[in-house]
Amino acid sequence: MAVGAEFTSDDAAVIVVGGGHAGAEAALASARMGVETMLLTGDVTTICTMPCNPSIGGSAKGQLVREIDALGGEMGRTIDRSSMHVRMLNESKGPGVRALRAQADKAQYAALISQAVHAQCNLQIVQGLVADLIIAGGEVRGVRTQDGANYFARRVVLATGTFLGAKIFRGEHSEDAGRFGEKPALELAHTLRRLGFPTGRLKTGTPPRIDKTSVDFTRMQRQDPSAVPLLFSYRSEAVFAGPQVACYLTGTNAQTHALVKENLHRSPLYGLDLIRGIGPRYCPSIEDKVIKFAHNPTHQIFIEPEGWDAPTLYVGGFSTSLPGEVQVRMLRTLPGLEDCVMLRAGYAVEYDFVPPTELTHALETRRVRGLFHCGQLNGTSGYEEAAAQGIVAGINAARAAQGQEPVFFARSESYIGTMIDDLVSKGVDEPYRMLTSRAEHRLVLRHDNADVRLSPLGYALGMLSEAAYQDFVSRKDALADGVRLAQSTRLPRITLGPASIAAGTTIAGALRRPELQFSDIAAFLPRRFEPDIGERIGIETKFAGYIRRQRSAIERAGREEHINIPEAFDFAGIRALSIEAREKLAKHRPRSLGAAARIAGVTPADVSILSVMLHARTALARV
Amino acid sequence: MMSPRADTIAAIATPPGHGAVAIVRVSGARTRSIALRIFHAKRALRPRLATFGAVFDAQGNTIDRGLALFMPAPHSYTGEDVLELHVHGSPIIASETLRATLAAGARLAQPGEFTRRAFLNGKLDLSQAEAVADVIAAESLSAARGAEARLAGGLQSEVERLRAALSQVVEELTGALDFPDEVPDPDAADLRRRFAAVLAALRSLHGTWESGRIVREGVGVAIVGPPNAGKSSLLNALLGEERALVSMLPGTTRDTIEETIAIDGVHVRLVDTAGIRSAGEELEAAGIARTERALAHATLALVVVDGSAPLGAEAGELLARTRARPRLVFFNKADLGTAGFRARAAGEADAISGSVRRPHDLVRLREAIAAIGWGRAVPDLARPHLASARQADAVLQAICALAAAELTLDQGQPVDLVAPDVMAALGALGQITGAAVTEALLDGIFARFCIGK
Repeated sequence: MAVGAEFTSDDAAVIVVGGGHAGAEAALASARMGVETMLLTGDVTTICTMPCNPSIGGSAKGQLVREIDALGGEMGRTIDRSSMHVRMLNESKGPGVRALRAQADKAQYAALISQAVHAQCNLQIVQGLVADLIIAGGEVRGVRTQDGANYFARRVVLATGTFLGAKIFRGEHSEDAGRFGEKPALELAHTLRRLGFPTGRLKTGTPPRIDKTSVDFTRMQRQDPSAVPLLFSYRSEAVFAGPQVACYLTGTNAQTHALVKENLHRSPLYGLDLIRGIGPRYCPSIEDKVIKFAHNPTHQIFIEPEGWDAPTLYVGGFSTSLPGEVQVRMLRTLPGLEDCVMLRAGYAVEYDFVPPTELTHALETRRVRGLFHCGQLNGTSGYEEAAAQGIVAGINAARAAQGQEPVFFARSESYIGTMIDDLVSKGVDEPYRMLTSRAEHRLVLRHDNADVRLSPLGYALGMLSEAAYQDFVSRKDALADGVRLAQSTRLPRITLGPASIAAGTTIAGALRRPELQFSDIAAFLPRRFEPDIGERIGIETKFAGYIRRQRSAIERAGREEHINIPEAFDFAGIRALSIEAREKLAKHRPRSLGAAARIAGVTPADVSILSVMLHARTALARV
Repeated sequence: MMSPRADTIAAIATPPGHGAVAIVRVSGARTRSIALRIFHAKRALRPRLATFGAVFDAQGNTIDRGLALFMPAPHSYTGEDVLELHVHGSPIIASETLRATLAAGARLAQPGEFTRRAFLNGKLDLSQAEAVADVIAAESLSAARGAEARLAGGLQSEVERLRAALSQVVEELTGALDFPDEVPDPDAADLRRRFAAVLAALRSLHGTWESGRIVREGVGVAIVGPPNAGKSSLLNALLGEERALVSMLPGTTRDTIEETIAIDGVHVRLVDTAGIRSAGEELEAAGIARTERALAHATLALVVVDGSAPLGAEAGELLARTRARPRLVFFNKADLGTAGFRARAAGEADAISGSVRRPHDLVRLREAIAAIGWGRAVPDLARPHLASARQADAVLQAICALAAAELTLDQGQPVDLVAPDVMAALGALGQITGAAVTEALLDGIFARFCIGK
């Protein structure tokens, strides 16, 4: 439905550009909030593909998926219905860091999301590569595609992933491409620069894929999935999506490392020096691993299926941009892969990103009103990080279209809020990945309680159905009842394994012993609870003291969080600040004193100075 | 960030060190009641008029006599009730006066806090606010790089060493959480051992706080003794060798004299009760009160008696009274005879016999003063020690947090529950070195572990 420039009424209230994980969640959120939404993507047949690893979740990322789900997003339900292998990570390391990771059937995952997107009312899907933004009076008014079609809307969400000015490298070969064999968005990159957006260059990569019939699994270490279904979504049924399969572990050796070193002169990163983008430290190429950790005799390599029927295996930990023929030789040095057939070679991709410091906490750009950025465009990496930003950008674009105030996600309430605050107040200097270590409040931002934290919001926004919300309410009530009963129910004198409990001890008191689990004494409660609720009652009572301490720390920090810094505040003009602090503040433009305090290089004294000057400016403004 | 006005703050407003006058300033709602408690004068304080009187400590002892200025709100620097106490310019008197205001209900002001209050109460304009910001910047700079750091003898690097040790623990903890496939789980026994080592170092650092105070404020030595025991000659002899370093100061009260000499690089403040010639007609009670006052201000009592002849009643009484406190007994006039020294009581076993006229006796005396002033163990000033209450408070916070982390480990709790307390300890120590936590942590993880799928 090509629309001419003379067309006056808008094509949609919100246009989302890009059909990846960020774009899909953004479009679904906006449409579910009752706002007419258009999803524009370069290829309507490739919505939410998983171009790199076949897994969803993992440490910290798993929490993001739960939060997306609690809000009413799609990622959690979809992985639950396409998961071939799921495990709970960090089970014994603490309630704040438990997280799910699942291996997806990539094709099924994409098909399911595609179905959801196509079935969503208020959402139309249009094929087209966006080349330009239509701007009027500093506000976005729509987009123009490469083939000259104009689409008008007052809110535009850009979710262009790694496609912006993208270039793929393998050995001496390089080409302009966003993903393997897909066209990059070169014009849009120019448009953004023309509008005054600074851009930076990042790099990431993907490993080769091998034929699963060419591999000897008996020579590798087997990793079995969970024997019971473990679910990301509160709305999923507890059944396996299909047969559960194993993953395998192998490792590099001196031969592999020798091949890397011999061919380093053919690496676009090292010898050829073609790539200047910064790669993620947590996802180094095999070249990086061999060079930077030369003392390690072996590096772990993870062999993961990409689908029940897919012919390929993903070679995790083996990301490389060496020439294809070298990749094959390297692969064949790995135990179990001696005779492997490489179906697709790995490559490095370099792409433009717009520093997320250009954004408000609503993910709207400060430069162009009505324009929202999310996903890898903001310098992040990972499907989960992208989807989480997508849902926030979609929500806020829709809110703006409805004439409502934006919704902000606090650090103390979600991993989503932690990530967005990190992004917009600190910026990125490598592809940003969510990590538990970034979430200082993780003891209250748990995998298990994402619904308590976010489902009321998801429901209020209209993204969570009435039925899903009522489910949540009954879970929440059961949980509260269980916590109350645990505090009031007294135990008889019992001995459980090494633990001997005195008569009259409450269940909550007994649970404070690390060796006792909720399931050990649940039978003493006057009522039964579902296993997942039981587990949550256990966490809430067992770690009550630690959780309380974290909450009071959050309250203390909250005072600074609530001192706002005006948008146009002149940091550079405060000469009392150290030069470093002035530069950092001017660059990151924190919105609150709390955000300012978290910027590296800003000292407590700088924060004091800032608070004095903030009061000075506001006092003057009142005069 | 901003303190409520009910919160009353106090600080020494004059630069540290010896000057003619030291000003202790108090601001806030409790100022009046603090003034009534610690300053006594013949007539009531009147707004903006200097009143002469005496400053008392919490026990009712006179600290000094001086001027008080009371400026009621809103016509004061901060816009709140303000009291200024002008006392003699010795670090000890100023800090005793400050301590008295704190005991009476004030709290120690943060750097720049008076001016910040002035600003918040609309007393400053923008350019003045900028000047305040400069002051805060300067104070924090000097705290980080200036006097404190110099005094602290490598405190920064010691704290950095401890922070690095803790930071490594957190790197391993969170590395294992974020990258369970790549980073090995930390071992509880190993963590315990490392916490114990850091805790021991922190506790020993906290123990240096008292000696750190001595470095900053000097060791107060009260020279007491019966008339004609040779107090003045002793003072002059000690001063004589240090003439170049002596600064003549007004007496702490009208009837004592205070002099400062440096012994082994340490400021020794000599308070001589012989400032006024003891005359026969002086009441005994007045003499005792004067001696007591001098002793109250001193770390060390230097009791001087005439050792050439049997001890008189006054000497005996003084020796008995000072037996329980750090002191040094000098049996003077050994060049004339040692009858008194030889007949000394068992409690004076380590007394020194000598003469102020013999240089080698003075050397022994100086060494003994330094040794006893430091609690018999001269601290090595080249080693790290705390030099401010702020630093001591930060170290204490770190100790408490680490002790909590240790407890969590001992209870067999999951490792992630240990992390927040270790982070808190890191944050507390960061107050001393001015370092931020999170980003450095990630750098550490990525530098140490090869991570990535």
